[in-house]
Amino acid sequence: MQAVTPTTTVKSVTSRVRIARLSAVAVLAAAVAGCAQDAPQDTWDPAGPNAQKIHSLDNVVYAIAGVVGVIVFAVLSVAFWKFRDRGQPIPEQSHGKPALEIVLTIIPAMILIGVAIPSVSTLMALNKTDDTECIINVTGQQWWWEVDYPVQEGCGGIDEPIVTSGQMVIEAGTKVLVRGTSRDVIHSWWIPRLNGKRDMVPGRVHTVRLEADEPGIYAGQCTEFCGLSHANMRMEVVAMEPDDFAAWKANQVEAYVAPEEGTLAAEGESTFVAQCSRCHQVDGLTDNDGELVIARPDQNVWSGAAPNLTNLMTRNTFAGASWDLLSNECRADVWEADSADVGAAYLEGVSESCLNEVELREWLRNAPAKKPMYTDPESLEETNGLPRGMPYLALSEDQIDQLIAYLLERK
Amino acid sequence: MAIIERPTESPATEAPAPSASTSYGYLRRPVETKGWRSWAFTVDHKKIGIMYGAVALFFFIIGGLEAGLIRLQLAGPDGTILSADKYNQMFTMHATTMVFLFVMPMAAAFANYFIPLQIGARDVAFPRLNALSLWTFVFGGIFINTSWILGGGADGGWFMYAPNSSVPFSPSNGIDFWTLGLLITGIASLVGAINLIVTVLNMRAPGMTMMKMPIFTWMGFVTQMLLLFAMPVITVALFLLMFQRSFGATFFSVEAGADPLLWQHLFWIFGHPEVYIIVLPAFGIVSEVLPVFSKKPLFGYPFVVFSGAAIGFVGFGVWAHHMFASGLGPVSVAVFSVATMAIAVPTGVKIINWTLTMWGGKLKFTTAMLFAVGLIVEFTIGGLSGVTHAIAPSDTQQTDTYYIVAHFHYVIFGGGVVGLFSGMYYWWPKIFGKMLSETLGKWNFWLMMIGMNLTFGPMHIIGLQGQPRRMYVWTEYRAGEGFFNLGFWNLVATIGTFVLAIGVFFFLINIWVTHRPGSKTPPAPADPWDARSLEWITSSPPKEYNFARTPVVSDLDEFFHRKYEDVGEGDQHEYVQHMTGEEVIQNEEDNADLNIHLPAPSYWPMVLAFSLPVLAYGVIYSTLLILAGAAIATMAMFGWALEPADAPQSDYDPTDDGGETSKELANV
Repeated sequence: MQAVTPTTTVKSVTSRVRIARLSAVAVLAAAVAGCAQDAPQDTWDPAGPNAQKIHSLDNVVYAIAGVVGVIVFAVLSVAFWKFRDRGQPIPEQSHGKPALEIVLTIIPAMILIGVAIPSVSTLMALNKTDDTECIINVTGQQWWWEVDYPVQEGCGGIDEPIVTSGQMVIEAGTKVLVRGTSRDVIHSWWIPRLNGKRDMVPGRVHTVRLEADEPGIYAGQCTEFCGLSHANMRMEVVAMEPDDFAAWKANQVEAYVAPEEGTLAAEGESTFVAQCSRCHQVDGLTDNDGELVIARPDQNVWSGAAPNLTNLMTRNTFAGASWDLLSNECRADVWEADSADVGAAYLEGVSESCLNEVELREWLRNAPAKKPMYTDPESLEETNGLPRGMPYLALSEDQIDQLIAYLLERK
Repeated sequence: MAIIERPTESPATEAPAPSASTSYGYLRRPVETKGWRSWAFTVDHKKIGIMYGAVALFFFIIGGLEAGLIRLQLAGPDGTILSADKYNQMFTMHATTMVFLFVMPMAAAFANYFIPLQIGARDVAFPRLNALSLWTFVFGGIFINTSWILGGGADGGWFMYAPNSSVPFSPSNGIDFWTLGLLITGIASLVGAINLIVTVLNMRAPGMTMMKMPIFTWMGFVTQMLLLFAMPVITVALFLLMFQRSFGATFFSVEAGADPLLWQHLFWIFGHPEVYIIVLPAFGIVSEVLPVFSKKPLFGYPFVVFSGAAIGFVGFGVWAHHMFASGLGPVSVAVFSVATMAIAVPTGVKIINWTLTMWGGKLKFTTAMLFAVGLIVEFTIGGLSGVTHAIAPSDTQQTDTYYIVAHFHYVIFGGGVVGLFSGMYYWWPKIFGKMLSETLGKWNFWLMMIGMNLTFGPMHIIGLQGQPRRMYVWTEYRAGEGFFNLGFWNLVATIGTFVLAIGVFFFLINIWVTHRPGSKTPPAPADPWDARSLEWITSSPPKEYNFARTPVVSDLDEFFHRKYEDVGEGDQHEYVQHMTGEEVIQNEEDNADLNIHLPAPSYWPMVLAFSLPVLAYGVIYSTLLILAGAAIATMAMFGWALEPADAPQSDYDPTDDGGETSKELANV
């Protein structure tokens, strides 16, 4: 379908013919290919029991709606054809037949009652929480999700809290209960292939169940309009086999390893402390005096939080999961991996050769230019001068080189 | 000047002598019958209706341009036509403009023009309030749109969810303009609603019981009732928001203990009835048009009336279906889910009755009829997709995606706007005395239909493939491949928008061709469609006083029964036309009432309406302006209260022949 762009449609008759052919081919190809290549947020391609429950209900409702639609349109078509003015006499001025009316009112009412019963029972089933096997917290803010794993026996045991962002890692086949809230405006957590969406509202905690049948990466998007960069607030759920999940958990709580003296990464560490650590936490990072560096985003950004970067390169997206940390070639190896291999591929993290350096550089050079975040000084008056996301930091190209070298070791 | 006065000929009840108030120099009533003043100060419901329609059409074009920019931005991935900020303003203002400044006032235009005519009245109950409604809407609409040149439009979405609508999250003045502007246009709706409700209840022609009222008037009446109860709710919500933004209140501040869901409840208790406020007038229009072009009465008139009223009632009990993903808890969600399914029943009744009206008829597919049929088809699609998200679990997958955008455009455009276009073609000869071209009308119809289905049809696919609404860009990574890929269908939707726009353009061309200076379009016949209801028992366009003689009503479809007689026997019906429409009208004019007294025009409704945007600018910019606005409002209210009931004879120009003054001529 790539050929059907505005530039080709305006050319000539022959190009129109070509487009017609291409379209026909595309339709055929689609028929052959089935739905295997559908969008990653396809709501009709459930990958877990919750989404499946909804989809099973959908199938019935759409079928009924389709049949009703066909009947209505068939009756209308017959009426258009049969009763068009052919010079027939003026019809009887009848005001209707109450018995027929009543029957035709009761039929749709019965159909709707028939639909209401499974609908309500599905609704109740989707709200069960007593079989939860793992609790994960999400917190929305403009414009990214923080994901944290509280200490618990669930999730196969979490002994030390894990804080990450943008991507939620879970064990396939585990019943996860997501507890969510927000630090500023209302956001909505939605992983279409795993379950419907749930608004995450400041001052309230809402829950939603998630369970993936198979390992894989499941895309999602914030679906409640949350201001300027709403379009750039995405997230993913990464489901993996139990062993892989255990490995991931262990990796997340590994102790901090400082870069080797004299390397570019070591210079990056100082730059990070100077430029980034006001907002971004890296657990275990110490400053020149050997003091632990504690980020204070509560004093430096309006929403009061910034992504924890301790293990940035174990994730493969950044800045609200809007851009890939993996280059195009390497991205496919993870995103299109077979179900059995996804966990392993994901756990490799981002290596220097796989890094999507172009976009990460653009981000570090001028974040608000890449992701709109209200930057003019006038609009900051209302937030006491605090930026709403990552501000423009005026980093030099050298500093960016150092930071990238440093960040590449964060895994 | 409450209701129309009709002094008898008896000298005992002469018109009251000029009162002392006429001596105030500025307290005069306007007397112009020609030129712009005759429009600006009119209280004639027909002129007010035309102005409502013209201004609404202007805003339709504005809203359409906003829609065009939105679709251009989304035609391909990572669109660059609009910045994120401009895009957010664009979709907020597109919805605001289309809902509040186009569909509602356009429906008000039809209601204003035709409700008095359909019930055999000479004007509405409160003519000056009617003028106030119009000017309040006009000034409110202009006020909201001045935000574009004063720092940008509102950017919180037309639903304006808290706390994203608070100042820290939307630092420009856009939302202030939106809040204050909608408070102003809300006054227009509320005043108009009260006016029309009183008119319908008190001013029906002799013999017209409620169940003999034309169906458009019935649906208009239900709509005004909905407005009466829904507008106060949004007014409260907007008031809270104004205090939140302009005066430091904390109604929606979580850190001060507020619950942001308060706004959602208030907004949707208004917002859902609003849907029916938008579609019921259109339902009324097609319920007039279908019988006329089927040569049959509306099938099951009482069912259509009561289903309309039922929609009105139940419409207030389903608001939380906009909040299935908001976290209300499963029990509330289940209740609202079932209530929402219930409202599908009266809506289905309407589709069934329209279909059965045509069944067994003698169908003539004029442009008006085509639009009416178009409404049935498009609204059925919108209604069925509506049932799919009455199912709460399914809705959690669909809400805030393009599937919803598809649904409500099939309802609001396919149901509301298409119905309004049917009314345009049907009533145009009545309003302007000239027929719109049927050829151009059919181009208008087919291009609009093809365009709307190309635009909104693909959005079902886009939404089910997981594209959320209100995103200024979409990315190729989430677009998929194959037949259902987002790229292809987004492009189709954008192309559809332009087909739709060309269709609307044909409507404008049609108006121009019919009315341009030197146009050869002949005057329309008095009864071009062989119509059935009261508004046709008078000349086209109607005289200022509507009816030469106040009609006496004995039947639903009064006009039809005056023209046709059933000469069949027993169950055999045979209808013979014993009078033409012209003859019926002539008969009325031969027996005209004498000394028809009409309400006098007034300066003050416009002045009072003008004070409101001044006050609103004051809230945003300066206390001084608030004082100025309050001064104008006070002056206008005193003027309104103290102005004489009528202009003195001496204010009117003598006529050329030196005989009667223009005042008498105006009233003949």
